[in-house]
Amino acid sequence: MNILIAHLRRALAVAAVVMGAVLAPASAQELPMFDKPVHIGVLLPELKPEAGPFWAEIAKAAREGTIATEEDFAFNAELVGMDFKVLTETPVRGDVAAAAQRLVDAGAFAIMGGYTNAETRALGAWAEQKGIPFLNIGASADILRNEQCFATTFHLEPSAAMYLDSIVGWYVRSGLRQWYFVVEDSDEGRAQYERVRWSMNERHFGAREVGRMYLAPGRAGGANLAAAVRRANADVVILLQSAADQLVALKDLETGGVPGTVQVTGYPHTEAQTRAFYEASRAVAPTLGVGHRAAAWEATIDAYGAREYNARYRERWGVPMEATAWAIYHAMRAFYEAAFFNQGKTDPKSVMNYMMNPGSVFDLHKGVATSFRPWDRQQRQSLYLIKVNSADRATSKLAQALLVGELPAIYMPGTDLVERLDQIGDLANRSRCRKPTPLR
Amino acid sequence: MKYVPVKHAAVGLAFAAGLIVGTPSLAQTTQTMLNATRAGDTYRVYVANEYNADITVIDATTDAVIGTIPISGRPGLVRPRGMALSPDGTIIYVSVSDFHPEFEVTEDKIVAIDVRTNQILQEFRAGGNPERVAISPDGKQVWASLEALAQGGGYDIATGTQFVQFRVGIEAEGVAVSPDGKWVYITAEATHTTTVYDVENKRILKHILVGNRPRAVAFSLDGTKAYVSAEIGGTISVIDVTKNHTLVASINLGLDSRPVELVVDPAGKYVYVAGGGTSAIYVIDTATNKVAQTIKEKMGRRPWGVTVTLDGKKVYTANGLSDSVSVIDPECMCVIKNIAVGRGAHSVQIGRIPAGA
Repeated sequence: MNILIAHLRRALAVAAVVMGAVLAPASAQELPMFDKPVHIGVLLPELKPEAGPFWAEIAKAAREGTIATEEDFAFNAELVGMDFKVLTETPVRGDVAAAAQRLVDAGAFAIMGGYTNAETRALGAWAEQKGIPFLNIGASADILRNEQCFATTFHLEPSAAMYLDSIVGWYVRSGLRQWYFVVEDSDEGRAQYERVRWSMNERHFGAREVGRMYLAPGRAGGANLAAAVRRANADVVILLQSAADQLVALKDLETGGVPGTVQVTGYPHTEAQTRAFYEASRAVAPTLGVGHRAAAWEATIDAYGAREYNARYRERWGVPMEATAWAIYHAMRAFYEAAFFNQGKTDPKSVMNYMMNPGSVFDLHKGVATSFRPWDRQQRQSLYLIKVNSADRATSKLAQALLVGELPAIYMPGTDLVERLDQIGDLANRSRCRKPTPLR
Repeated sequence: MKYVPVKHAAVGLAFAAGLIVGTPSLAQTTQTMLNATRAGDTYRVYVANEYNADITVIDATTDAVIGTIPISGRPGLVRPRGMALSPDGTIIYVSVSDFHPEFEVTEDKIVAIDVRTNQILQEFRAGGNPERVAISPDGKQVWASLEALAQGGGYDIATGTQFVQFRVGIEAEGVAVSPDGKWVYITAEATHTTTVYDVENKRILKHILVGNRPRAVAFSLDGTKAYVSAEIGGTISVIDVTKNHTLVASINLGLDSRPVELVVDPAGKYVYVAGGGTSAIYVIDTATNKVAQTIKEKMGRRPWGVTVTLDGKKVYTANGLSDSVSVIDPECMCVIKNIAVGRGAHSVQIGRIPAGA
């Protein structure tokens, strides 16, 4: 039971005692009329024991985040007399499209999910064919915003370009000049590498590449990697690998004698944004594994109403809010508000019109009004820089990491908000998405 | 903990001798307050410092800091935020909570401060992270937004007990009582609503959809209009109280205007809106519902609280990131002074010392 609901019931009981009468609810005719059901479909991650502990963290955060989010929005909906419901489905043997179809068949007007690039690609294709609005909450690959974009897919999860621009911006401004890359030998790894090089060449000048090693997924660099980094005299190492492979590389670098003055960071896949990953990072590399990381959300943010938002979640589940739970909340919020601020309309075109309307604003608990970019339907937003805490500070799950930075800085009076947020990620002139949103 | 006056001989002596004749000024513009003022009254500006756990006191005539009132010995852990004034201006009410909204703590309370002595008169429990408070026109009730509970609360000042608690939206924040005492408005940041509570009939009348992330609410002096700021939406919703609390206008301040607290000037001509993260004050002409001025030059950083003197001749803002108060002269619509206060200035109100008191 949501804490707000618990508070509500307790409050009503207290009020009844205090006043000697139960409070009368607001009279129905004075509330705005929402005469159509607002049912939103959430795809949960399929439990895959072989996928490892970080996937399990994502699955847990998704389930808990969905429940907490439903409780908040059910509370809101009840306040205004809206028939609101969250429908959930879990794919069977990876068939996300079939699971999404079950949600639509059950009455969902929009779908959210996509915890991997492959899932988001499949859901995007299905949603486009069916004309259903779909919000991607976990896949960052740039190709999904470009060549493989789909007309009814919106992205709450930041793009790879946004993450990489932020990482380059932070490290270049910190004076780190000699960059070494460990690149997963895959399409996605190579795409990330090309994008980060573009950012170094076109957006944040002053750093140069001093070395690079390609590693097949699941393959370790071993002592060779550490030796190469030492020889290159790198002052920062960027791991463009999966979460699990980043841990292997961190261990190799630490045991291979790479000095502690070298900064090591990795690509922030959602699995690599979990408290469990931060803990593992410190465990495999007590010196190099307590560096800085980029993140879409951080449980220690306490500004912009995020203190109360994070606290509600911690109170509900006893654990900090992971980025996946945050993404679920705000994807739900986007669809909820598309109905809430639009007389309860839930037909696909009304919903997508709302999402793409320049006058629509979204509140991601990041302090400023955000919007979807028209060329690729990517949600604009600031990102966070966190520091993995050392063992002496990591006294609780929450204390595994600490917020230390934000990019773009949202407090820049006198600048245009959209231009400010578009300092990270690909602008329209780089977009290769050729599928416009099907609006009225 | 006691009030700590600043050692400032001239001001101290002047107060002792009753020599300072302040600008006729009070923060909450109700007719009761206007009626209460007399020649020879003096005024003090109170600033709630969220991170210092104290209240800075400023002489409204000289705009010099004259003292500090500790609220808690745990700065950085206990946070005074919203403030309100008794109808005669002689008591300041402060909502106090801590930085852990997930826990109900003893610090969740409302503190009453005597403007004449700067001593704490009364404290009473207000569980659930009270963020802002408002006082009924008869001075008998205090109303609070209980942020962590998504509730509004009403408290009897004489007994210090809660007499009602009612449901509002999530992350309750702004609270105001209509000048006739009939309505309590409470905003909810995460629900985009303003809840109207009918005081006489003890019931929620309605929830009004306003802009995205509504923060503060203020009534006009005549009670016919209420203004609600929406921080993310960048709008001020205008509610016609006389037409069944109907939204009649939405004033667009711009996508990145981030309005928070607001106050209607005593003449009803302007609404002053604190622009929070934009470090600006927006001045809305109530006749046209358009922005007449945007004050940025010399403004402190992140103005969160704003109030105006009863004669309308000075506007004060509490600036959370520069730990300061900016003083605005409405004549030139410009900042005429910045005053250093405590860390995290959140709200500002103006108390009155009656002549001869």
